[in-house]
Amino acid sequence: MSFISFWFASIPVSALPLLLACLGLILSERSGVVNLGAEGYMAVGAMSGAIVTLLTGSPWLGVGAGVLAGCCLGLLFAFSVAVLKADQILSGLAVMAIGLGLSGFIGRHWVHQPFNGMNAPDLPGLQQLPLLGGLLFKQPLLAWVSVLLVIVIAWILHRTRIGLRFTAVGEDPAAADNAGISVPGMQMLAGMLCGALCGLGGAYLSVASAHIWVDNMVAGRGWIALALVVFARWRPGRALIGALLFGAVDMLLPRLQAQGLQVPVYLMGMLPYLLTILVLVLATRSRYRDEPAALGVTYLRQDRH
Amino acid sequence: MAFQFALQRRANTSFLRSSLTFSGGLLLGLLLCVALLIQAGVPADMLFDDLVWQVFFQADGLAQTLTLSIPLILAGLSAALALRVKFWNIGIEGQLWLGAIAAMAVSIYGVGSDSYRWALMLVAAMAGGALWIAVPLWLKERFHASELVVTLLLSNVAFQLMLHLLFGAWRDPTQSFPISPAISEPERLLKLGFGNLHTGLFASIGMVFLVMWIMERSRFGFQSRILGSNRQVAEASGIAVGTTLVVMVLLSGAMAGLAGGLLVAGTEYRLTQHLGWNMTFSGIVIAFIARLRPFWVLPVAVVLAGVYNAGATLKVFYGLTEATVLLMQGIVLLSLLWCQFIAAFSIDRRQEVSV
Repeated sequence: MSFISFWFASIPVSALPLLLACLGLILSERSGVVNLGAEGYMAVGAMSGAIVTLLTGSPWLGVGAGVLAGCCLGLLFAFSVAVLKADQILSGLAVMAIGLGLSGFIGRHWVHQPFNGMNAPDLPGLQQLPLLGGLLFKQPLLAWVSVLLVIVIAWILHRTRIGLRFTAVGEDPAAADNAGISVPGMQMLAGMLCGALCGLGGAYLSVASAHIWVDNMVAGRGWIALALVVFARWRPGRALIGALLFGAVDMLLPRLQAQGLQVPVYLMGMLPYLLTILVLVLATRSRYRDEPAALGVTYLRQDRH
Repeated sequence: MAFQFALQRRANTSFLRSSLTFSGGLLLGLLLCVALLIQAGVPADMLFDDLVWQVFFQADGLAQTLTLSIPLILAGLSAALALRVKFWNIGIEGQLWLGAIAAMAVSIYGVGSDSYRWALMLVAAMAGGALWIAVPLWLKERFHASELVVTLLLSNVAFQLMLHLLFGAWRDPTQSFPISPAISEPERLLKLGFGNLHTGLFASIGMVFLVMWIMERSRFGFQSRILGSNRQVAEASGIAVGTTLVVMVLLSGAMAGLAGGLLVAGTEYRLTQHLGWNMTFSGIVIAFIARLRPFWVLPVAVVLAGVYNAGATLKVFYGLTEATVLLMQGIVLLSLLWCQFIAAFSIDRRQEVSV
């Protein structure tokens, strides 16, 4: 019993940073841009979140700094692909390297310094609830913000004019352009929001869960988020489910170890990645192919038919 | 609203324009890197000494640079082969690790006789790398799963496999670190008597010429060029798309695997978890700067090896981490991509009348 409730309580630590990055990538891909920079945005988000929290003592300012840093880097990428029409994948890789590099370069003086990050608010009665008490009530406030963001982004995408514009640009940029929507403008906006959300995910890692910053903290989460987008079929709600499932598999191993069970640690460590590949294959195979039609296509007004 | 400017794709960019923008991009990127290093506290008058003189013109430094260039050359070839057919191989590290594991397995299980086991190790390394890239290739062709994500995720799997072996069956019990036992004397590649430089250099240079022949002289090279620029056209014109893709992609994996094998057999003499980090990105940067020309991979890889070598100095003397070298590569790649805008597009001034 307590095994399950402890396991459940640990899921958000793994799931939510992934979820935030995935939400950002959904926005970017909905507007037709493959964004490989996620790993880099998350790295600068984690690094600046930690530094600002260390300097000011305020975790919320730290989170804000993480968002801002991710946003700036996202802008760099978006400018590259939307305005200069550079190759999306190569630009993404370059920005990823810049993000990882910058986090190591700027953060080199702040590494391994524990700080007072964001803690779970005190909710005595509720936290002791069986099974779900820890999962629901022993989380930092940022966890609730993340779940709220799923709703907000789903609402923006499906119910607002700006969301429809993102989708229009990703499905048929020429038609969107004819309708008077600025394709580069929407892609820049999506790129910034993607960077900001990934930065928030990174800040979650350092400020809300680890309370320390170390090099290579993101450890491939940006890439898993990219695979999760396909699983989520470009929908925020499904991204939440996917992230929680991934988090559950990811956190099972440390829980089993804490129980003193002898498990082949590294073989089990392959499991999340293998499952992601399996899910990716199944998701692309399925009849519902919701991939934005113009994903990865560089749009030029002159190319209209 | 009237649109005053319009982007126009240049139908054919003159050689002068494309080479000037390319060198301009490279120069801009390098200048930004220099500015970064100066900002980080490296004295400006030491830059030439640290980054050029010590690593290319001093015997010790040059030997180390050339040793470091061996896997980089192969990573560059691996990226060039895959990029040529638009197969996004983001898992060069994984293929390298599989190659290293395969080479180590040949040594541990003592396959064949001592006299030629080194050759078997290298062949196994290439097979290991090819095997590891065959999975994403199959998933892409059969299920349309994005090779971009699968190659990368498989790198993580390969790393876990390596840790599993290093912390388990292959661990050297006499060592406190999780590393495998050293390979025996006859299995090691011969030293050239110039620092730690070993015969693996000839293997990687040989591969440059092999890949050059394949990409620029053989049927596959010609077909892959068409395939890379437009798959539909390639299919319509009766090119054996499948075969070409398989040959080029497996070769890409084999090059990465060989890099791992050479690291085990020539440099480290054992399997460790510190092999080949950042090889994916470095390989792509090398291939891109070399403009996918195998011959140019060679000098570009040597220059980048010099930067990595200098990075070690920067770490010791100025406290800059490995991340600095990654950052510099990212800056150079992005600046090259940005400057290509000038080569690829012209900006026409247009007087469109608003409707």
